[in-house]
Amino acid sequence: MTDPTLDARIILGVAQVVLTLLVAPLLLGITKRVKARLQYRRGPDLLQPYRDLRKWWAKESVESDVAGPVSRAVPVVVLAATLAATLYIPIVAAWAPLDGWGDLVLVVGLMALARFALALGALDAGGAFGGMGSSREVAISTLVEPALLLALAGAAVAAGSTDLGTIAAHGAEAGTAWYTPALLLAAAAFAIVAVAETGHEPVDNPDTHLELTMIHEGMLLEATGPRLAMLTYAAELKVVVVIGLFAAAFLPAGVATALTPLALAVAIGAALGKLVLAAVILGLLDATLAKLRILALPGLLATASIVAAIGLATRLWLPA
Amino acid sequence: MNLLASLATGPLPIAIAVLLVLSTLAAALPNARVNPRGLSLALAALASAAILTLGIAVLAPGATVTAGLGEVLGFPLVRVCYDGLAALFLIALGAGGLASSVYAIGSSARDRGSDRTAPAYPVFIGSLALVFGASDAFAFLLAWELMALSSAALVLGARPSGDTARAAYLYFTLTHLATAALVVAFAILVSAAGTTSFEAFGAAAADLSPAARSVVFVLLLVGFGTKAGAIPFHVWLPRAHPVAPSHVSALMSGVMIKAGIYGLVRFGLEILGPGPEWWGLAVLALGAVSAVLGVLYALMEHDLKRLLAFHSIENIGIILLGVGVAMLAAGAGQEGGAVSGIARIALVAALFHTLNHALFKSVLFLAAGSVQRAVGSRDLNQLGGLARTMPVTAVAFAVGAAAISGLPPLNGFASEWLTFQGLIGAGGAASLSLVARSATLIAVGALGLTTALAVVCFVKATGMGFLARPRSAAAAAANETPRAMGAAMAGLALACVAIGIAAGPVSGAIGTVATTVLGQPAVAATGPGIASALGTSVPGLEAAYGALPLAVLISLLGLVGWGAAVRGRRVRREPTWTCGVAPEPAFQYTATSYAKLIRLYFGPVLRPAREVRVELHPGTPFPRTVRYRGEISHLIDERIYRPLHGATVRAAELIRRVQSGSLQLYLAYSVTALVVLLLVARR
Repeated sequence: MTDPTLDARIILGVAQVVLTLLVAPLLLGITKRVKARLQYRRGPDLLQPYRDLRKWWAKESVESDVAGPVSRAVPVVVLAATLAATLYIPIVAAWAPLDGWGDLVLVVGLMALARFALALGALDAGGAFGGMGSSREVAISTLVEPALLLALAGAAVAAGSTDLGTIAAHGAEAGTAWYTPALLLAAAAFAIVAVAETGHEPVDNPDTHLELTMIHEGMLLEATGPRLAMLTYAAELKVVVVIGLFAAAFLPAGVATALTPLALAVAIGAALGKLVLAAVILGLLDATLAKLRILALPGLLATASIVAAIGLATRLWLPA
Repeated sequence: MNLLASLATGPLPIAIAVLLVLSTLAAALPNARVNPRGLSLALAALASAAILTLGIAVLAPGATVTAGLGEVLGFPLVRVCYDGLAALFLIALGAGGLASSVYAIGSSARDRGSDRTAPAYPVFIGSLALVFGASDAFAFLLAWELMALSSAALVLGARPSGDTARAAYLYFTLTHLATAALVVAFAILVSAAGTTSFEAFGAAAADLSPAARSVVFVLLLVGFGTKAGAIPFHVWLPRAHPVAPSHVSALMSGVMIKAGIYGLVRFGLEILGPGPEWWGLAVLALGAVSAVLGVLYALMEHDLKRLLAFHSIENIGIILLGVGVAMLAAGAGQEGGAVSGIARIALVAALFHTLNHALFKSVLFLAAGSVQRAVGSRDLNQLGGLARTMPVTAVAFAVGAAAISGLPPLNGFASEWLTFQGLIGAGGAASLSLVARSATLIAVGALGLTTALAVVCFVKATGMGFLARPRSAAAAAANETPRAMGAAMAGLALACVAIGIAAGPVSGAIGTVATTVLGQPAVAATGPGIASALGTSVPGLEAAYGALPLAVLISLLGLVGWGAAVRGRRVRREPTWTCGVAPEPAFQYTATSYAKLIRLYFGPVLRPAREVRVELHPGTPFPRTVRYRGEISHLIDERIYRPLHGATVRAAELIRRVQSGSLQLYLAYSVTALVVLLLVARR
């Protein structure tokens, strides 16, 4: 792995940003389409999420008469934090657009910033549903975050760095040697919490409009117009962030570690392939699983932490 | 810098002493035409500013400042010596003291009643400055006791109630038990060194037998752990901190409990030097337990100041994680390489978080005090909607909340990032034992859990306190606090942002201190980001966090987003959707209901109990009143302290049987004791 020139880095960065920004709504379209097909429906058009965003962006905002500046600032902060997070993840090549300026801990931190803002904004209107969604979202996140960090710590220990570019390059160059039992356990743990973090079944139903069962949607209930567009777009981007994290640490095959045209073409294809595959899997989960009782979630999500811990134990205690 | 250095060695320490003495005297003045408390606080603010300057001056050139005030009976009465480590704590004290004093000027303007405990405030600040500068055991213990006494007086306050008195008494008792442990530890070191001067302690500690060294370490851990409020030595903290006046709570939580961290780093790490592995493991375990339980108990509170007090325990836990990793890594190898880099990063993380916690905890306590002053309550279930009426307090609280939750790009994230680096780095370090590596990796999960829970708690505190509709008439009628109070909070909040953005240079400066404490050769500082400022040559830690680029990026994205989606856009205001019923404050989530899922998810630890009483309208199934009462159990209090308390009382009753009150019997005891002693001494 040789460091590219600054020009190449800039072109690479812009390419990843454009790809990320454009593909995010499509992933939601794919997930919805897969779910609809499995339910013998035709389902919305793949491009419908783009049309929704355009429609909301053009509309006026309706806000609660008790809302303050927080309601106005929150969508901006949530989108800015999520967008910033994508810039630290090596999605196409082993160099993220802001490679060397942040690592996996920063990405987790930016996700926490977005969650803090979103959960706070949901309380601003003073309705019951905002509080409901907000308290559920943050409570579930306390089960998710330990597993997320334990799983990523395994990959970081294997690569000798918490820098995502280094981890991805390390993994891509190691080939099949990267996929040790310890790493697979960590990947399994991450996969479980990734479903919770992106808000899909069996943790949350992204299509529900029954107030009492909403988690993420509950927090968006008072958001309208451009604000709804920003929050929805941020949620779509978050799928890219979570899958990007997973791919960098646990499925780095295909990530470009050299700047040849062939490697880049393969890398773009691999990145798109991973994202689309994830979107399809999320759709399958949505269609085939029932929502777990919210009180039963610790059973599922704490398992992820335990699996991740077993992965770390395997890494340390079993001789390779 | 030369000017600063010459100030530091010359007039600054003397100016601080003079200002604090004057401030104490002013507080004791009778209430005349001038407001003596205001005068006293203004002098204390000046002294704190001088302390802050002194700290920066000592830290900047890496100089050491020594000043002495004579000897009494052969003991150097007050000999202070500030090095880099002490300077960090001086900076925390100066910043916290300055803000608290300015704040108190504002809050005491209305309340002109005499307060007999007011003179204790400058004494408290002075004793803290002495603790950090004491260079021999005698001066240290003297300052330590002065700190305990003055802070106990401040907790008691002007008009003590039953609760306050009990809290102050418990604090007083436990802090003295802790001091007793320290006295024994120092006695062992003094007898080995033959002098009370700390300079000789290092060599003396190296000559002690391993068992004696471990005894000293455990005594230090108990003594300093109690002052720091680490679980299981924490029981005094959530009781004493909330009842003190808010500017005192800020200083106690922000600075005083850090004296425990200072002691642990100074004596446990620097003077005792690298120890056996279980020292580091013990500190790591204390840290992990304090962090997780501290934040869990904080979440269960709806008294704003008690909530903040439990968060102090949490943050002490995060600091101890850093100290523990530093101990493990320092004990594993002195020859340089990966582990010494990990030791340095972990110690920087601990010291940086110490400084950061002083800033954001102070702003949070001060904001809580403003809320209490404006509303007359600090019960989150009685608050709400204060962002409209108290914008300055609300913004300051929100910044403090984001910082303490470890959100980038604020200062709390920077130090937690370093802690994560230390933990993950130690987990991958081949020269550490497998037990140590497993422990640090488990701690990664514990720290992740802690930060996630902290986010929950501060969304709850900020949301319930400042957003949506007021939950009581008093909250609806709240007014913004006086300007001095607002200025103090705004200054601290700005410092949280500024230090967060300047995390690279700040941690670089702390890195110099850490290398000295660990006895490592200095490292050249190059490049951007924190890790780079500490030298990127450390294998296993080749990651960086560029706070400034991140801050610029987030601000730019935020500005673009605001300009495109909010500015100039049409907004219609309508009532909140509540399924067609007219919205009212009771529809809102409360602090209790917001934490319900956490209460259930972590039920095995919190063991919640609730009691719901429903009274029906006679002859109908419709409820007239519903009363809810919920509580959780504090495991440590119930499993350790309650049995301990019972055993102590029973032991006292047994001993009382000997106390008959009869003079003849007492004489018989004395004679028996004398005979036994003579028999023993004959041999």
